[in-house]
Amino acid sequence: MMAIRELKVCLLGDTGVGKSSIVCRFVQDHFDHNISPTIGASFMTKTVPCGNELHKFLIWDTAGQERFHSLAPMYYRGSAAAVIVYDITKQDSFHTLKKWVKELKEHGPENIVMAIAGNKCDLSDIREVPMKDAKEYAESIGAIVVETSAKNAVNIEELFQGISQQIPPLDPHENSNNGAIKLGRQTSQMGRRCC
Amino acid sequence: MYPCCSSASFDCKMENGEGVFEIRTPSRAFTLKAISKQAMMYWLQQLQMRRWEFCNTQSRFPVGSSQLVNEPLAGRTNVVDNEDFLPLVKTPTEAVGLKAASLPAPQTSTALQNISLKHPWTEIQNTVYNICGSKQLWGNNGNVFSFDEFQEHPENVDEEQEAEVEAGCAVKEGTPEDGRMGPRLNWIRKARWMNSGFPGSEELSREKNSVDKVSVLQQQILTLTEEVKSQKELVKLLHKALEAAQQEKRVSNMYLTAAEDKDRLELVRHKVRQIADLTSRLEALEQEKKELEQILTLRDSHIQELKEHVQLLMEKNHAKQEVIMTLTEQMARELSDPLQEANTITVETLYKQQEEIEHLKDDIDAYKTQNQFLNSEIHQVTRLWTRVAENEKALLMKCACLQARNCQMESKYLTVLRKLQEAVPGLPNSDAELVKNLIQEALQWDVKEEAEEGFNLNPVSEYDEYGFMTVSDYEIEDWKLLAKIQALEIKSNKLWSQEIVEKPLRDRWNSIGELNPCAELKSLIRSGIPVEHRQRVWRWMVSRHCSPVPGHYQRLLEQSRSTEHPACRQIELDLPRTLTNNKHFSSPTSQLIPRLRRVLLAFSWHNPAIGYCQGLNRLAAVALLVLEDEESAFWCLVYIVENLMPADYYSDTLITSQVDQRVFKDFLSEKLPRLMAHFEQYQIDVSLITFNWFLVAFVDSLVSDILLRVWDAFLYEGTKVIFRYALAIFKYNEEEILRIHDSVEIYQYLRFFTRMITDGRKLMNIAFNDLNPFPMKLLRNRRSTHREELEAELCELEQIKAAYVKERAEQGPQDLEEVVSEEEEES
Repeated sequence: MMAIRELKVCLLGDTGVGKSSIVCRFVQDHFDHNISPTIGASFMTKTVPCGNELHKFLIWDTAGQERFHSLAPMYYRGSAAAVIVYDITKQDSFHTLKKWVKELKEHGPENIVMAIAGNKCDLSDIREVPMKDAKEYAESIGAIVVETSAKNAVNIEELFQGISQQIPPLDPHENSNNGAIKLGRQTSQMGRRCC
Repeated sequence: MYPCCSSASFDCKMENGEGVFEIRTPSRAFTLKAISKQAMMYWLQQLQMRRWEFCNTQSRFPVGSSQLVNEPLAGRTNVVDNEDFLPLVKTPTEAVGLKAASLPAPQTSTALQNISLKHPWTEIQNTVYNICGSKQLWGNNGNVFSFDEFQEHPENVDEEQEAEVEAGCAVKEGTPEDGRMGPRLNWIRKARWMNSGFPGSEELSREKNSVDKVSVLQQQILTLTEEVKSQKELVKLLHKALEAAQQEKRVSNMYLTAAEDKDRLELVRHKVRQIADLTSRLEALEQEKKELEQILTLRDSHIQELKEHVQLLMEKNHAKQEVIMTLTEQMARELSDPLQEANTITVETLYKQQEEIEHLKDDIDAYKTQNQFLNSEIHQVTRLWTRVAENEKALLMKCACLQARNCQMESKYLTVLRKLQEAVPGLPNSDAELVKNLIQEALQWDVKEEAEEGFNLNPVSEYDEYGFMTVSDYEIEDWKLLAKIQALEIKSNKLWSQEIVEKPLRDRWNSIGELNPCAELKSLIRSGIPVEHRQRVWRWMVSRHCSPVPGHYQRLLEQSRSTEHPACRQIELDLPRTLTNNKHFSSPTSQLIPRLRRVLLAFSWHNPAIGYCQGLNRLAAVALLVLEDEESAFWCLVYIVENLMPADYYSDTLITSQVDQRVFKDFLSEKLPRLMAHFEQYQIDVSLITFNWFLVAFVDSLVSDILLRVWDAFLYEGTKVIFRYALAIFKYNEEEILRIHDSVEIYQYLRFFTRMITDGRKLMNIAFNDLNPFPMKLLRNRRSTHREELEAELCELEQIKAAYVKERAEQGPQDLEEVVSEEEEES
């Protein structure tokens, strides 16, 4: 019997970038163009195997509108990871992402795993945010970065796998070098699949 | 005889018999009889004439010459004596007698009318001829009268005739004149005699009446004066005749004086030539006359034609004048008094109308009969209908009961299926397949059957009256099953309560006319407003506190068209994802989406402090669904945000929303201490779940049926209703939650548990009865306390942030990775 680790993950990001859609794709493997905007937050869970562990993601999806930011601490409090989502077709959403990173750095839990998801990569022809910018920024903050498409189910699983791998294992011995290797692998995967 | 004749008087007495007349002389009296009255008259006239002539000749001519004159006359008198001589009567009666008899009162002047002055000679000749002709004829007849003197010369007729002719030629001044004038004078005399009315002047003079003598004499004078007049005229005539005779005489003298036969011949020839010339002239004149006559006839006919034409034109003219007259009259009438015209028209049409009225009366009678029949028919049909309605009601009741039972059975069946689904891994493959198929079947909507049969065989329909999906569209199948079970339970609850609870409430609602705030209305609203009254009551509730400013909404729309509000982007983002479980909003082409856009844009301009906050879209959407009218929905939104909710509920920091979460936790601790303790044990932050309940008043959390009931009370009573229901929802599921001993599972449960509430009535009873007392004052106090706390915390946070920024600035730029996060201020 594998051990189940409950991992609280919160999704942050500008309004309409597709936070709920990513969660929906990940949890229900379903996509809805007009998924209801999240008011306050919504909660979902999904269990994925990771190594010899089962990671049960407790995903808190938050509202994107700026005035809901003041509620965010409720959600990212005690989170093991934060998925910060931006829309590759909207430069503004990348700026918002930076603000969230800053807030997490300032007020977020210690050692919180940050994953940057450039959503809507199916719309790369109207892209505003170059992959290179995101990569450089992610590297600068030591975050996972991946371009996703909730609509086409691109890199959603990989995003959460990446988070799982970033989560330090309970056994301190298994924890060494794990993140760096996985991050590197994740990055190479991303490059292959998204660009 | 002649001397006695001159002094004779004549008389005719009607009593003596026809044709009998008397001649009286001073010596003796003769009684004579003529064959007829006319003859008698003729004789009398002749006698009178002779007497006149005799008297005249005695005075003017010598005695010798008078002999010549009297002789033929005497002869003539004798001839007339013949009684049998009938043809003779005609001549004298036509020539003299009849004229005298038929003209009773001719005047002296007119007595000379027939005398032609132009041809006196011809006249005289004619007269002479007549007299001669008569004499000859008379001569052949015998004397019937016993008149001795006349019978003396019957054989001498021819001689006398010759003598007369001789006399006519020889004595030109005398005889022809007398012969011609005789009858005339006689005639005048006769007339005078008739007028005076007495037999004769001689007779009167002979009477020795001294008294009357003067008057008689005067009359005689008059008579004589008249006679003198006529004598004068006669003299004139005679003068003319004399002139003519002298002319003739000159010619004759020329003829006679001509010496030789040759000259005479020449004269005759000349005369003959003259005659021929005259004849030819006469002919020419006659010809001319004929021509003239012809021309005359032509002219006459032409005149006739022209007259006809004139007649025609006259008629035409007349007709035209008449037309003009009528038109003028009409015009005058029209000009003078249009009303009168209308009156005349009315008079004209009166008859028609009367006829029409008759028809209509008939119709009325027919309709009355028909009406009576129809009334009875209505009565009959109503009775039938009542019976049928009762039957239908009973059947509906039965149907509802059966449906409710069906729902329950189905729900139980689905529950069993769900249990089986959970047990699938342990079942043999075939059974697992069967269970899967059964679940698939249970979840499918039998749309086809529904459409064809006209009624729904499915226990629940896909959408409710506001377009909300009755079964939530969960992606995971066991949730779908759960949702369907839930829908079936809601339906069966509804069906059970329909007759017992809903109907009396409906009746009470129907009896409410004007809405007035009162305790009864409050309790009615809490029980839920029936669909047919909801719109009206909502409008009333909104207008009570938030009276719409006319034109305000239109101005806001104008503003939102001209200027783009910063909130526009967020609104556009949220529009397609509003009420996705409602068919009126789920389609991107839905008509409600543009309306919702306008309402939200208008609100963002109406309240710039709030602008647009995610969640307002849901509030506006529900308002639109119920109120339908865009402007009403706008004012409803204004009412909720500005009147019902505390200030700053939707503004930048959502501070009062956060305050309310703390207040709610207080209430939860107070009202449901066991549950609160349970949450604390598993580190459950309920505000993660309840925050949006408050912000959007349970939209998307509760099933539509319960949601609208909550809104009914919320719009009437305010935010306290949200607290009550939020607490009631926990209380409703308290036991269930208490059974869960895992924080993730509790969260999982809390995520859906609002949708598991199927009994709205039970929830309402909890909210408004079990949770009492719920004083507003307490709520207000708690709100203000928590607001102060929260504001202090936020202020502290700001200070820490500021201190951090300042510290960072002093340390200089550093890599973000190396920065150690601060301890969370709230932990």
